[in-house]
Amino acid sequence: MPNQNDVSLTVRNLNVVYTSRKKIIHAVNGVSFIMKKGQTLGLVGETGAGKTTIAKSILRILPDPPAKVLGGEIMLEGKDLMKVPEKEMLKIRGEKIAMIFQDPMTALNPLMTIGDQIMEGLRLHNDYSEAEAAQTAKELLEMVGIHAERFKEYPFEFSGGMKQRVVIAMALACEPELLLADEPTTALDVTIQAQVLDLINKLRAKYHTSMILITHNLGVVAQTCDHVAVIYAGKIIEYGSKRDVFLNYAHPYTLGLFASLPSFSKDAPRLKPIQGSMPDPTRLPPGCTFHPRCPHVIEDCTKSEIPLIEVSPGHFCRCCNMRQEG
Amino acid sequence: MPPLMEVRDLSKYFKVPAGVLHAVDRVSFTIEKGKTLGVVGESGCGKSTLGRTMIRLQEVTDGLILLNGEDITHVSGRKLREVREKVQIVFQDPYSSLNPRLLIEETIQEPLRNSCDYSRSQLKERASALMDLVGIDMRLRQSYPHELDGGRRQRVGIARALALNPEFIVCDEPVSSLDVSIQAQVLNLLMDLQDQMGVAYLFVTHDLSVVRHISNAICVMYLGETVEMCPSKELFSTSMHPYTKALLSAIPSIDIDEPMRPIPLKGELTSPINPKPGCRFFPRCPYAKGGCRQPLRLEEVSEKHFVACHRVREIN
Repeated sequence: MPNQNDVSLTVRNLNVVYTSRKKIIHAVNGVSFIMKKGQTLGLVGETGAGKTTIAKSILRILPDPPAKVLGGEIMLEGKDLMKVPEKEMLKIRGEKIAMIFQDPMTALNPLMTIGDQIMEGLRLHNDYSEAEAAQTAKELLEMVGIHAERFKEYPFEFSGGMKQRVVIAMALACEPELLLADEPTTALDVTIQAQVLDLINKLRAKYHTSMILITHNLGVVAQTCDHVAVIYAGKIIEYGSKRDVFLNYAHPYTLGLFASLPSFSKDAPRLKPIQGSMPDPTRLPPGCTFHPRCPHVIEDCTKSEIPLIEVSPGHFCRCCNMRQEG
Repeated sequence: MPPLMEVRDLSKYFKVPAGVLHAVDRVSFTIEKGKTLGVVGESGCGKSTLGRTMIRLQEVTDGLILLNGEDITHVSGRKLREVREKVQIVFQDPYSSLNPRLLIEETIQEPLRNSCDYSRSQLKERASALMDLVGIDMRLRQSYPHELDGGRRQRVGIARALALNPEFIVCDEPVSSLDVSIQAQVLNLLMDLQDQMGVAYLFVTHDLSVVRHISNAICVMYLGETVEMCPSKELFSTSMHPYTKALLSAIPSIDIDEPMRPIPLKGELTSPINPKPGCRFFPRCPYAKGGCRQPLRLEEVSEKHFVACHRVREIN
């Protein structure tokens, strides 16, 4: 167990469902992890794996209904965020935990100037006068590489990459302890993505912010994170340091993800995709949820819940076939 | 034998309130039967417009399009319908490119109804054969698009494009909206179909690893112009244009021991409206000099390797 003082966030047994009149969608099914201060955790997985739902439950911004958090603990600085009153949560959002959303085009209010949007959070969480807030907002803009003169412009006057910089400036305005970055560069071109990732890394180092980076891009994880959790059908199926997961992956799904990527250096005539597609989240298969697509499936896989097993210190994997080999 | 598809100095401009937008500017290349030309570039570089203009979904502003040596730049009426049987397109978004009110089977049959004199049973038979070819389960024949996931929808789009046995297909970012495991399935399918049927592709994408995997040659576009074109592997081993170099350096590698060293580019994509003469990459180029403002042509620097850069010999 790491020293309590080093821990920035603990998530224990988080379960979230989405309900509709007829169906229950099991989005997050018992996710637990611990983040140390200053750590960067990459949450990797395909569409519908539950990555964004995890981030939104930490901030408690899931729309209820249809979303329902069935249980779990989210501990930040000794407080369970699941239990704090909404009024206190307002203080935590933006000040302690901030989020960068995937789509910079919709994350900003089109009717407010960029400056006003950055000032909004600053004035809410600090005792700033209008002039002080404006001054800080201008400094933030300069920090993310936007001229302070553009303070009074509206979002439509900025390009996609610039808007994402503004969103980053807003997220870092109150120097949060934890940054939730939900696919921060997916909507951007590669050259702009490189600039934005570089910016996030520099600022994170400056403020010692911990970060959960949600992405489906393994390259982005390789270049920014120190720990990785691979999510499949709402469960962590592999967790470890970047080295563990990228070089010594243990789960057949993780292997499948890497094998699906076309390579830059090697010539493979055919890719080796994972067979089939994601399971229907309203009817998850019993046992290991990956078993219908797994090439190494054995009888045990379909029987009961597979626990996360520590394959080497700090490296966990949820696979029963591997347990037998080990 | 003339090449299957050839474009010569193809241009497509749009009139906008601020002036003339040069979406595609004097692009030339050839594609042989059964081969793939990849077109890469960032958003707004004109790669999709190029694909659409080539198959006459948009009117050509200037230049020539030759299909099997025959000029199709301005054909119309019955002649254009004949062209449409030979050239097809697979769109980027499998959610908006299928008619939500048509059954999967009807979607695939639609091109056949338009162009062939098939009886009802022949239509059914051909649709089944096509579904089988692209790997869609028969039981989905009577489903609507909303009942399918993205990967399967994209397979339907591919089956529809293949219905008339085309010689050439424009694939406009066909895997960009799919997850990697599904993306790999669709890429394999496209390559298998090429082997079986000898169809040629223009493969438009912003994903450089995908384009390396599927293409024989690659054309890199910047603000409507070709900046570099060469055999696919050569682009990754010996890229010569400063923009291509920057683009390649910006891809985050999955090798955790190989830190990313992106070549910094100044600013962002400039406007394609009323572009100034000379190199369009000039304002962002780390090697830019005064002479770069001079008019510029694509030049064969080594065999089959074309670059549009005034300083290509100095910087390589």
